[in-house]
Amino acid sequence: MSNEKIHPTNRSISRRDFLKAASLVGGAFTSSYVLTGCNSQPPTVTTPTPKGNEIVTLNALYMNQAGYSEKVLKDIAARYAKASATPVDISFTFVKYDELHDKIVTSAAATTATFDVILLDLIWTAEFGKKGYVIPLDDRITPEIKSDITPAIFSAFVYNKQTWAFPFLANFQCFFYNADHLDKAGFSAAPKTLEEWYDQMVALKSKNIVKFPYIDSWNQKEGLVCDYVRTTGQCGGDLFDADGKPAMDTGAGLQALQFMRQLIDDGLADPAATNTDEPGAMNAFVSGAVSFNTNWTFVRGNMLDPKLSKISASARTGLLPPSKDNPAPTGSVSGFQGLAVMANSKNVAQSWDFIKFATDPTIQSENLQSEFPVWTSVQQSSQAKKINPDADLYATTLANVHHRPRVANYQQVSAIIQEEVHNCLLKQTKPEEATSNMVSRVSALNG
Amino acid sequence: MLKRLYDYFVHPLTQIEFRVNRSDRLFVFLSLAPSILITMVVVFLPLFYALYLSFNNAEVVVIGGKGGVQTEWIGLSNYFYFLQDKAFWQGVRVTTYFTMVSLAVELTLGIIVALVLNQEFFGRGLVRALLILPWAVPTVVNARLWGLIYEPQSYGAMNGLFQLLGLTTPDNAINFLTPVPIFQDVPILGQLMGWIGSTSAINWIILADTWKVIPVVALLVLAGLQSIPLDLYEAAKVDGANNWQLFWSITLPMLRPILLVILVFRTMELFRVFDILYILMAYTIPVVGIRTFQETFVFGLFGRGSAIAFLIGLFILLIALVYINLISLEDE
Repeated sequence: MSNEKIHPTNRSISRRDFLKAASLVGGAFTSSYVLTGCNSQPPTVTTPTPKGNEIVTLNALYMNQAGYSEKVLKDIAARYAKASATPVDISFTFVKYDELHDKIVTSAAATTATFDVILLDLIWTAEFGKKGYVIPLDDRITPEIKSDITPAIFSAFVYNKQTWAFPFLANFQCFFYNADHLDKAGFSAAPKTLEEWYDQMVALKSKNIVKFPYIDSWNQKEGLVCDYVRTTGQCGGDLFDADGKPAMDTGAGLQALQFMRQLIDDGLADPAATNTDEPGAMNAFVSGAVSFNTNWTFVRGNMLDPKLSKISASARTGLLPPSKDNPAPTGSVSGFQGLAVMANSKNVAQSWDFIKFATDPTIQSENLQSEFPVWTSVQQSSQAKKINPDADLYATTLANVHHRPRVANYQQVSAIIQEEVHNCLLKQTKPEEATSNMVSRVSALNG
Repeated sequence: MLKRLYDYFVHPLTQIEFRVNRSDRLFVFLSLAPSILITMVVVFLPLFYALYLSFNNAEVVVIGGKGGVQTEWIGLSNYFYFLQDKAFWQGVRVTTYFTMVSLAVELTLGIIVALVLNQEFFGRGLVRALLILPWAVPTVVNARLWGLIYEPQSYGAMNGLFQLLGLTTPDNAINFLTPVPIFQDVPILGQLMGWIGSTSAINWIILADTWKVIPVVALLVLAGLQSIPLDLYEAAKVDGANNWQLFWSITLPMLRPILLVILVFRTMELFRVFDILYILMAYTIPVVGIRTFQETFVFGLFGRGSAIAFLIGLFILLIALVYINLISLEDE
């Protein structure tokens, strides 16, 4: 075939050709985006719109991932609207946990807040307090109220000697295990120490009861920092010293990362943990693929539900085993969340009034099935113990939680910890190198 | 570079001849005014504000019950911060890898699918209609879907398929999204893969993203195929051309305009990839889109976030220039 007869290879493209083709493709792309509703956001749940000017509308931001369900929240809102002396309408926006922080920051950037009431994760306490996103609540909280809330919970929302949110969710990590697996391996009880736990995992693996005895949520997200803080707590220490300086390259911080890495190296922790989140880790546990999972309290309800779990009869909750040198009965990490009032809200008084109502012990005692209460009196009630037989165990864990650092630039500190721990668990660096990097990078960040 | 951009984008606009009466011009401009106003408010205003923020330390604060962005002028510091940051350049390399490999796979498979669909066969209309379905799936849903497919346990869909085919056993489930460099244990090659960010995870995610995009590439190429005059093929066949020669000497050159436009659009989309990587891997694969999100909304550093966004824009502009040179436009 002669190229002289057919010349398309030499065919130049005119501007008209290009623009025609561009508009064709542009039109196709645009219409496809419109049709597919690209990047659709989770649905926003709203209560009926106000009928008159006299009605105060409160906009509240909550998550639809864990904690009280949408149904419970909407029920609380409806009851508050009925009980309130002022006509009030509460409009809830439910988003994923990962979107909460961004929504709050965007709301703070507006002259008047988009949301009046927000769910505040304890790790944002310092940032929001320092930048003035939320109002301090100290003059609204009486000593009687304070005395009925465990100091471990209350202190999580204190920064610069001021309280920035009222405790709402008493979330923390627990130890979950498969009693059947332990029984087959010849163990009659959950491990009492970190060392004993390691021995049990070795036995489970060597007896081929499971391929990987343990899974955790070690993908490069906030959950990884929680797991590292928790393991450090199990080893009897914290990642930061009393002066707020990073101290993970010695003592408990280093020991914890060495332990986590050892579990990977010895084939005791599923390597897939490095790209697994909390629900994913729970799924592996309730499928019976692994024997142990350390996770948030939401796992308990799922693992005991025969519709969701293959191990509902053998799944148990235990205390997170501390290392033999740690005198504490356990060590865990806090994931407390509170309700706060945006400082640029037009309805500060009404917002606080709603928070008082929503966090009331009566309300919390009605929802013991789904959440562990923040109030000590409710935790110790016979009703709580009846509904949740693990209530005492929960209380012990709660009293021994470790907080993540409360610094205004926490997100940057957390990103460094996530990256270094993740690299170490992927076998790209050794624990000593990773912890040393963490200390130098966090120190550089803080000047 | 600026002259090239002017020649391509601005100069043609100055050559437009208004074929309307002088009295009608006011009507024309009044009709356009709302569009211009909206464009100014939703495009140019935020763009210039972001440019201003990029020269500042900017953070959200609430003072005296009023929210807003507090700024402190620091000149080009935000830009220098990234240009000197190794992690930023690692992000650029990973993003480039993602873009280039995705483009190569999408175009190759898109052309193959289009060539098949251009043949006569029973049920072709139905297949063409069904082909568009993956494109109709929202990006976030697509990411979640592939998250389930790549589930690293034996109950994951892909692992299930591999077990069905006898490639693996339930005890040896594959962790597809392992974020470690491929060929890690091979000297030099492993280091190179680590340097460009080629991991098992990113390669499987490219497959997931490609699955969604191939239909639109294939349909566009198909439209291009149908515009090729059949007498070109007939003439070539008379001259004794085989199928490969027909494809190489007629089909591919005639598809050049549409392929290059797809290339421009997809490059721009791929270079600012965010959603599928964030949903499946959070911050593990540090493409520049994820870094922008992290700096701006997670760290609350709006100045830095704006600076990196403009740097990405600059990279895309440079790529666009390369493409403009490639397609060698001629004045009509």
